[in-house]
Amino acid sequence: MSKRFKLFIFIGALLYGPGLSNAQTRSIISNLANPAIGMSALFLGQAAPNLTAPGSTGPSFQEAEISVISTVDPLWTLAGNFTFDAGSGLAEEAYAITDSIPNIQIKVGEFRAAFGKHGTLHTHAFPFIQAPIVMSNTIGEEGFKDAGIEAAWMTPLPWYCELTLGGYRQVAVTPDHPLNFNGGSMDNIPYLIHLKNLIDVDEDTTMELGGSDLTGMGDDGRHHFVFGADFTLRNVPLRQSNQRGWILQGEYIRKVSNVGDIYNHESDGWYASFQYRLSQEWWSGIRAEEAFNSVSDISDNPTDTSLSGHVQRASINVAWLPSEFSELKLEYGLAQTANGGPAQVDNRVMLQFNYIIGFHPPHAY
Amino acid sequence: MKSLVKILLGFALAFSTLPAFADLKVATALEDLASVAQFVGGKHVTATSLCKGYQDPHFVPAKPSLMKAIQNADVFISVGLELDGGWLPLVIPGSRNPKIQPGAKGFIDASEEINVLEKPVGTVSRAEGDIHPLGNPHYYVDPANLEVVADHLARVFGELDPTNADDYTANAKAFDEKMEKALKGWEADLKPYKGTSIVVYHENFVYFSTRFGLKLFGTVEPKPGIPPNPRYLTETAEAMKAAGVKVVLYQPYYDADAAQQLAKKAEGTAYEIPTEVGGVPKAKDVFSKFDFIVSTLVKAFSGK
Repeated sequence: MSKRFKLFIFIGALLYGPGLSNAQTRSIISNLANPAIGMSALFLGQAAPNLTAPGSTGPSFQEAEISVISTVDPLWTLAGNFTFDAGSGLAEEAYAITDSIPNIQIKVGEFRAAFGKHGTLHTHAFPFIQAPIVMSNTIGEEGFKDAGIEAAWMTPLPWYCELTLGGYRQVAVTPDHPLNFNGGSMDNIPYLIHLKNLIDVDEDTTMELGGSDLTGMGDDGRHHFVFGADFTLRNVPLRQSNQRGWILQGEYIRKVSNVGDIYNHESDGWYASFQYRLSQEWWSGIRAEEAFNSVSDISDNPTDTSLSGHVQRASINVAWLPSEFSELKLEYGLAQTANGGPAQVDNRVMLQFNYIIGFHPPHAY
Repeated sequence: MKSLVKILLGFALAFSTLPAFADLKVATALEDLASVAQFVGGKHVTATSLCKGYQDPHFVPAKPSLMKAIQNADVFISVGLELDGGWLPLVIPGSRNPKIQPGAKGFIDASEEINVLEKPVGTVSRAEGDIHPLGNPHYYVDPANLEVVADHLARVFGELDPTNADDYTANAKAFDEKMEKALKGWEADLKPYKGTSIVVYHENFVYFSTRFGLKLFGTVEPKPGIPPNPRYLTETAEAMKAAGVKVVLYQPYYDADAAQQLAKKAEGTAYEIPTEVGGVPKAKDVFSKFDFIVSTLVKAFSGK
């Protein structure tokens, strides 16, 4: 390259470079295709005579969740949910979905598996402040969250009948993951089978029946299984869909493991709840539940690990929703052991503040 | 296991080969859109709405049975402007029907060619209630807007079903002519009451009031989506009395007690009128809906 040509390029760059740079800044960077963004935040206040550890009573920051979702291209939609509490942040879910295959929805990434009913809910959508005890003993308080792929097929049957098959990453036991699916062999792919049926009983009422199975091999050489069955009867009067309604729901979950023909019942439990909408702004609910061989410490108190084994709990709450985007929930829960001998009791009152800003995708029915 | 697979495959085959009864199976988010689609589509189309006319179109429960209902639809017509944003984001993907996903040819946003009113200016804040950031989505309460929708649908139906494109165009033209004629009659009926003030439950009457020259004095809701409290109702009633406003309108899915309480306090009358087809039994299609609205208003204003 001649010196004269290099000089020409240099002068050209000096003269036009800044202009080009500015033009590019104005023209090629656009925020028009930004994803929809939303945030929810949960604050909790609680008091109980058995909560003696410092910080276990009084107000607390429970969780915040930032959600983003956008269409990637004609084939895919990408969504992410990032949760934060006082000490940490976590990419709770990040997954892509495609609806391009007739009758089948494919989900890829890190997400909540389609197990049962309560296990698919985000914390801010829990109908009661505390998750059912059986959840933390079986698939995790917030459901089974793992990297994987799921295909949900809407069968051609005359009613809504969905069959979901999922395969996930091997995962070790952690406080959020009570399942030991960490068997290292190549053929250990934890998998899910979920069947969901929903029929319209009449114009206002639906009945849903579901069954789930989550299976994998643990690093203890045992197969670990979780089975679940759920039932929901829901009423939303079409003429008053924003004012009245009720939900009757029950779910049973059982966790077992086996080597050969020897099965070991690890834990099981159930809950049954009834929620009633009093008006546009007011909901109330009542729940009974029982957990067997419970290992989770539901007393939420590091000095007291005694609320385990056979545990029963009753909860009652009332919620005020001044708009679609905020909720105040007052809840009373009474839990006790039924292991024989003196019962250990957890007796608490909670007040939860729930806020949503920005875009929030509608919750599943 | 093999027999189970055979049974499932048998069901799949049986239900996937159901004969089509029309050239286009159309599903809509609102009965008004189904009504227009049926006029435009004629014998080539079967149009059904997921949301019933007596149901609040803002709050449709996203039942999986709705997903099932559109699993094999060829076309889905959304109201647009986020009126159905509370449930379509679940129902449309949940249908697993690639033909009607947003961006596909079979997904129609009926608001696309509408002259939208009440587009927010400046910052949009929910301090103003559950407002629609893209503008007021209740455009289907203006008869003339339905002509725009009909022309839009005729074009898309023609693209999806070119064999019958001429029929769709002719049907839309006939619909427009019928609507223009009916509109002249409704305008004549309401002409004596031009400038009359009314109170409506929700801000869903602006297109109608603009078309027919009525004045919107206020709403039963203090802000969109926020239920009224006794103090607000008393203040509004006093303002109505001072201004001589006597007519309160509400839809079948709103709290009739609140509307009637307000009317009583204001020494007026509350009337249930449908803003959607199917809201009352007499509102069987878009024409009879406006017949019902106009005749109710004439009765309310004339006191007869």
